[in-house]
Amino acid sequence: MSEEKKPEERKKRRTATEAAAKIGPIQKANIQGVAQAREEGKKVAYTFICCCYDEIIRAMDIVPMWTETYAGICGAKRDAQRFLERAESENFSRSLCTYALCGLGFDAWREELGEMPPEAPWGGQVRPDMMLGSGQMLCDPRNKWYQAAQHYMPDVPIYDVGLPWPPYEDDYDYREVQDYYVKYIVKELKGLVKFLEKHTGKKMDWERLSELVDLTDKTWNLIWEAYELRRAVPTPMGTGDAMNTMVPMVFNMGTQEGYDYYKDLYDELKLKIANKEGVIPDEKYRLVWGGGLPSWFALSDFNYFNSKGAVFPVETTYRMIEAIYNFDMDLTKITDPLEHIAWRWVKFWTYWHDRARKRPGSHPDVERLIKYIEDYKIDGIVMHEAFSCRSWHVGLIWQLNQLKRVYRDIPSLILESDIVDISSYNEADTRARIDAFIDTLEAVKSR
Amino acid sequence: MVYVAGIDIGSAFSKAVVMAENKIIAYQVLPSGGNYKLTAEQVTEKTLTKAKLSLKDIAYTVAIGYGAASVSFSSETASDISCLARGVYYLFPNARTAIDIGGQFTRVLKLDGRGKATSFLLSEKCAAGSGRFLQVIARVLQIDLEDIGELSLKSKNRVDFNTGCAVFAESEAVSRVAEGAAKEDILAGLHRTLAAKIQTMVERLGIEPDCAVVGGGAKDIGLVRSIEAGLACKLLVPDEPQIVAALGAALLAGEKVAKGG
Repeated sequence: MSEEKKPEERKKRRTATEAAAKIGPIQKANIQGVAQAREEGKKVAYTFICCCYDEIIRAMDIVPMWTETYAGICGAKRDAQRFLERAESENFSRSLCTYALCGLGFDAWREELGEMPPEAPWGGQVRPDMMLGSGQMLCDPRNKWYQAAQHYMPDVPIYDVGLPWPPYEDDYDYREVQDYYVKYIVKELKGLVKFLEKHTGKKMDWERLSELVDLTDKTWNLIWEAYELRRAVPTPMGTGDAMNTMVPMVFNMGTQEGYDYYKDLYDELKLKIANKEGVIPDEKYRLVWGGGLPSWFALSDFNYFNSKGAVFPVETTYRMIEAIYNFDMDLTKITDPLEHIAWRWVKFWTYWHDRARKRPGSHPDVERLIKYIEDYKIDGIVMHEAFSCRSWHVGLIWQLNQLKRVYRDIPSLILESDIVDISSYNEADTRARIDAFIDTLEAVKSR
Repeated sequence: MVYVAGIDIGSAFSKAVVMAENKIIAYQVLPSGGNYKLTAEQVTEKTLTKAKLSLKDIAYTVAIGYGAASVSFSSETASDISCLARGVYYLFPNARTAIDIGGQFTRVLKLDGRGKATSFLLSEKCAAGSGRFLQVIARVLQIDLEDIGELSLKSKNRVDFNTGCAVFAESEAVSRVAEGAAKEDILAGLHRTLAAKIQTMVERLGIEPDCAVVGGGAKDIGLVRSIEAGLACKLLVPDEPQIVAALGAALLAGEKVAKGG
């Protein structure tokens, strides 16, 4: 039975930066802090990372329980299988998003027991007071997951926030329609505030919300500046570390702790560059992690790349910010906090539209790759196709094909596995593919 | 004379090649079985016997394949892709695309004019695009693996399959047998299914002539013809397609010796 399975003991993964190394305790404190906050009588909300309304939750003193992330933690600790199996026994298909399956399996089990499942990673996923979906953004589980979770928690209310952005088309300027999107999002956010006020019995502190919105803007700028430092040769930080340093970006937005973390990261990277201290001493190949969520249980594959002389100075995954001052509008002039959030959202998701329109046959995702290839002196692209995540992973091959068509042929590797389901992973096969890819990089470089 | 060896311990078959002065002296192919270490020793020993040599005569050995780590006497391990590229280049210097149909995976490589792979694709982890597919079906139809190619060419009424999945194809083949379909028609249909998978990979990478096909699957003339029909091009097939990666490993061993490795 799944109840009897114990997680596999694993060695701590080596990181290049101190900032990445200290994420484990921060992450653990985030998760365990939810249980603590619950005991103190604070309201807990299930929600999704990169939801755009972080500051609203913070301003209302609601404690977020990031459900995708909790599934990722179970995966990283190689302790997700028992929750996946539980979801399967509840008749959910194994081909659904494994974040959602893990979370649903956990919820089903916790609700049946009336307490946390045995030895739940980091104390477990706390029962929420409300669930905040993010529909129309990225993927369908962002609104369907919590509906399914309500089977086990029928008393927990859901609010689903629609967060669209103007789609890319090469024959129109998205600015023609952007106002409609902003208007729609503001309406959705107003509805969210009303919902939160109802279920917390508190009124929104609009002044505080404005302060947190400003703090988030500052944090976005700082993250962008810190990450741009990775252009240096040798690069002081790789994607393996970035899969840690993204935690405050998605967990702690709108908090001083989040800002301070990136200030420390910025300072550390500056120092490493001054000392010419790279991820590895002899950097031979510079790669971009060009898409797909990582296999959380196999992050040590990044170290394997390093052992072959390859580093990842940049990635498209979990770089969910741009410098606010690079937008084509002055966001500081938008003083209404909800409007400000909505504009930031729309400007982030349309950031690469203009570049794409200038290059026939291109696409915003392809333009982003091209910019990173040039800015970070990239030799090859690595992508990961996670079988259970359709929304993020469909289209990766198409992006590579378009890149080749509109820009140039560049060595690429597509890894296959999953985000959480370790049964999809084969270390020997993955590393054989990496070895072969390194050979092709060498062949191309030595031309 | 300096002797070098390439050992390829694949999931289905193991191969060894001994070379000297850039020429093949001897080679051997054996089923891999369940003990890679033992198979590595056996396949090497048989090759050395053919070459009238012993292990101490070998200056350098490169091991590749699924069981490369089990070759305790190798000088180093290398990637299958780079050795395949070397092997194909040795046999067909003008080849710019290579298809390797192995027991576990099908690989498609783009080659430069120096025996290097500049890009590659591997089939998915399932058996749908690999030689394992043929092994499964040979068992269902109770025929020898080496006979299925010629037999399939006799097909007059190909049975088309609804699936590319080896597991589903197995049950579909069983159903077709029960319906009385001829073995050659079933095989022709399965070749088309496998060829279509391979064709997709080749098209994804972009075919550039000449195109060679190697690996155990290349011994199946029915499959080769089916791929040729799909790609509308003639494929280069070596006399002994199964040993090409091991040959490349031996060539790499030779390079190492030349560099003083």
